Amino acid sequence: MSLTHLNARGEAHMVDVGDKAETQREAVASGRIVMRPETLAMLAEGGLPKGDVLATARIAGIQAAKRTHELIPLCHVLMLSKVSVDFRLDEAASCVHVESRCRLAGRTGVEMEALTAVSVACLTLYDMCKAVDKDMTIEAVRLEHKIGGKSGEWHRDSDVTPLPPEAPVTLPSAASEPASIRVKFLAELRERLDIADLEVPVETLDKRDVASLKAALQARDPRFAALSEARILCAVNQAMAHDTSLLSEGDEVAFFPPVTGG
Amino acid sequence: MIEVRVQSAVFDVGEEQQRLLEGRHDVGAVVTFTGLVRDFNERPDVEALSLEHYPGMTEAALHDIARQATARWPLDGIRIVHRIGRLSPGDPIVLAMVASAHRRAAFEACDFLMDYLKTRAPFWKKEHTASGTYWVSARDSDAQDAARWEAT
Repeated sequence: MSLTHLNARGEAHMVDVGDKAETQREAVASGRIVMRPETLAMLAEGGLPKGDVLATARIAGIQAAKRTHELIPLCHVLMLSKVSVDFRLDEAASCVHVESRCRLAGRTGVEMEALTAVSVACLTLYDMCKAVDKDMTIEAVRLEHKIGGKSGEWHRDSDVTPLPPEAPVTLPSAASEPASIRVKFLAELRERLDIADLEVPVETLDKRDVASLKAALQARDPRFAALSEARILCAVNQAMAHDTSLLSEGDEVAFFPPVTGG
Repeated sequence: MIEVRVQSAVFDVGEEQQRLLEGRHDVGAVVTFTGLVRDFNERPDVEALSLEHYPGMTEAALHDIARQATARWPLDGIRIVHRIGRLSPGDPIVLAMVASAHRRAAFEACDFLMDYLKTRAPFWKKEHTASGTYWVSARDSDAQDAARWEAT
């Protein structure tokens, strides 16, 4: 193994990516900011002096990902096809978990973009909350997985639970189209379909119900026929639903296999 | 009255009971179920278990199950704690604790909580064994156990 940003004389240089093949790249990074329980409660209730904290931090993270090349000296300028930043408030650990997912079709990985998005989202959370809590700690900023390129697929192998691929979105994603339905795939189904989430524009549905959503997905990709298996369950806005359940813009629809907890 | 939590940290049964009973002298019975990770399941030699859930929906579902129990039995308190993340054989994974004036209600409500939790709360287990990793399948017997409560 060698450090690709150092040349034979140990000097820093930008890696020439012109000969690399263009592939679909994705990286997910995570981190957290630990705060006092009272601060977390204020954040959850929207009672902080600087206003809507999570929405601001989300935009900050997305903006930062797009400007990574200006911050990290030897990074390339990338045309990201997707940047998402999600938050999960964790009362038990008194922290906010931050997760960013970046994607593009290109010649370089996007892990620096995902890590930058998480870092800047955490910094923004700190800035927004510092009036009431100066003890906050930003920690565990790290890459969770990356897909694509010569090195193929890499997943963090650890005892620590990574954030579920798509954290509960407390606010509509800034990167999302307004008139769409957010679809999530969980557990075994996510692994089988090899996708965690996607968005379906409402106008592509024949009728605004779950059955039409399944049909629209299947028209997009035959793999989604799996959603019509009798065993696959569905929830709309986190409540159990079925084929005739109605949908509207901004709804979150999750598909998953039978549950096996306890 | 009802507290539900989803956490990766281990829980302490004694501490949970103490908090459930804090300041109360009208409780006559507490029934506690603690679920543990077994080292055998669909395959022998289970080395670890990882638990995924659907944040948001999980808490709502557990709360709803607890609320249904309070509608069926005269209860004084319910605590449900479910762990997520990676667990090893012998680790406690779930706690269901019910307080009531009398034991029968507490026993039955605790049984009900676990039957409904196993069939309605969005958790999924993945087992890591010496011979590979796989998602655990739902059991028909769990569905039958939960159905017992529908008839009554």
